[in-house]
Amino acid sequence: MITFDHVTKRYPDGTVAVDALSLEIPAGKTMVLVGPSGCGKTTSLRMINRLIEPTEGTILIDGQDVQAAEPAQLRRGIGYVIQQTGLFPHRTIEDNIATVPLLNHWGKAKARARSRELMELVGLDLQMARRYPHQLSGGQQQRVGVARALAADPPVLLMDEPFSAVDPIVRASLQDELLRLQAELHKTIVMVTHDVEEAIKVGDIVAVFRPGGHLAQVDTPERLLGAPADDYVTDFVGFDRGIRRLSFFSADSLDLDAEAMVGEDATVADARALSVPWVLVLDSERKPRGWAASADLVSLPAGSKLADVPLAPIGHTFRPGHDSLRSALDATVLSRTERAVGVAADGTVLGVTTYERLRTAIRAAEEAADVQAADAARAGAAP
Amino acid sequence: MNWPLLWQYTGANALLGVLPAVIGLAIALPLGVACARWRWFYVPVLPLTTVLYSIPSLALFVVLIDYTGLSNTTVIIPLTLFSLCVLVPNVVDGLRSVPPPVRQAATAMGFGPMRRLIRVELPLAIPVIIAGLRIAVVSSISLASVGQLIGVSSLGYFFLDGFQRDFPEEIYVGGAAIIALALVCDLLLVQTRRLATPWSR
Repeated sequence: MITFDHVTKRYPDGTVAVDALSLEIPAGKTMVLVGPSGCGKTTSLRMINRLIEPTEGTILIDGQDVQAAEPAQLRRGIGYVIQQTGLFPHRTIEDNIATVPLLNHWGKAKARARSRELMELVGLDLQMARRYPHQLSGGQQQRVGVARALAADPPVLLMDEPFSAVDPIVRASLQDELLRLQAELHKTIVMVTHDVEEAIKVGDIVAVFRPGGHLAQVDTPERLLGAPADDYVTDFVGFDRGIRRLSFFSADSLDLDAEAMVGEDATVADARALSVPWVLVLDSERKPRGWAASADLVSLPAGSKLADVPLAPIGHTFRPGHDSLRSALDATVLSRTERAVGVAADGTVLGVTTYERLRTAIRAAEEAADVQAADAARAGAAP
Repeated sequence: MNWPLLWQYTGANALLGVLPAVIGLAIALPLGVACARWRWFYVPVLPLTTVLYSIPSLALFVVLIDYTGLSNTTVIIPLTLFSLCVLVPNVVDGLRSVPPPVRQAATAMGFGPMRRLIRVELPLAIPVIIAGLRIAVVSSISLASVGQLIGVSSLGYFFLDGFQRDFPEEIYVGGAAIIALALVCDLLLVQTRRLATPWSR
């Protein structure tokens, strides 16, 4: 755990970058510091490994005051990733990654073996081991940066706008990669970004800073979207937060309709009997085949097989155990039947959702989240 | 053509060209590191090296004869001082050419200031430092011939002897030898840089 206790950074000219910041970053979680430029988020990050010294207050890592440690020694125990990668141009990829192990006297062979292990972990081709940084793409360089930060297996990882210099597609894949790594490694990560989308995507907890080095809100991404503390945070998290918040609710909570469907061997009469506006037709493997409109079914011979009648396309499907309510809503919005099909991992149909069912699920999820937040607030307020 | 004599003076001239640059580098490195580290220190050092460079070499030779006699040292000392005029700024520029994120990353990885200097900053400054060394060596090689006026052996011998005997071919040979020597030394330095900085290829 990292604890900021009334930490202030005041520069000689009187500028206050960080003002009496108190913040707790739980062990094994990702905390994202987000805010406009000049809000003190980067200064706060750099005070953790003493690249910047606080004017007042203390920063503790697992109860140890960072000011009491020898700076170089302290920093070898804290991974650090920066925007422009800061890779050493004169060292090969494997030696770049082995930097901290070599500083810690692991020996060349062991350090290089560790480099290769990390290259695999972050998804770099081992053939790149002997190349120099400038021979790699921006995204690959950033992976090397992450690998280098993880080389000595530090419990804490600081990331200073790590993905802001790469294009949006590469950025998204690096974010996914970070989430995958974190699920495996459980580091205490502190990341700085000015991109609130990134904060919401990768953070377990997001600390929103306001100009002048003050905290505006510290909350889970879902709470940030669901209950922004004030107008500043509301503005900051931006447009359509209600929809974005749905990403944090599992589509598992949807009560799917498993009745309004028939196999392709069934007849038009069977489909009519269901008396729903749209009937989902399944193929022989119970995978969705298409939608039959009841309006069309009336004019068709009652005995014909559904396999032979024209069907509307399925469009997007969603996976209840895997996707969020946002995906389910999106699939529903995009479907001209105003219905979306929930499927299992193997593609077989679990059931159908409608706006009606979505509305119920969303309301229930929001209420549950509010209760949870209230409980958490009570627990936090308790002595 | 007196080949043994030519070789002898070429060797002597090479020594007078290379030694001042090497000694100059040994002085310029700590000086340049200090100047890069403390900006205020660079303020007096930079004009000082320029002033040194502006002193006529012959004048310095004559002054030094009283102390070091008619020896190589009398030529090496001024040439060393002259080399500082290019070497100090190049060491400073070389160190300043290290990208700030690289320096910051090195600090954040846990390099102390000294280790960072030796393992990260100086290696990255090599191309700029060697560029300065090339100028220092070439100019020392050519200036060394002036030492002949006070009797210190160099390829300048052929200029003086050719002039005194009214024998222009000898002067041309001396000139060609100096140019050839300078080119060879320069090529060696270019090669050294290539070998020392495999990452920049």
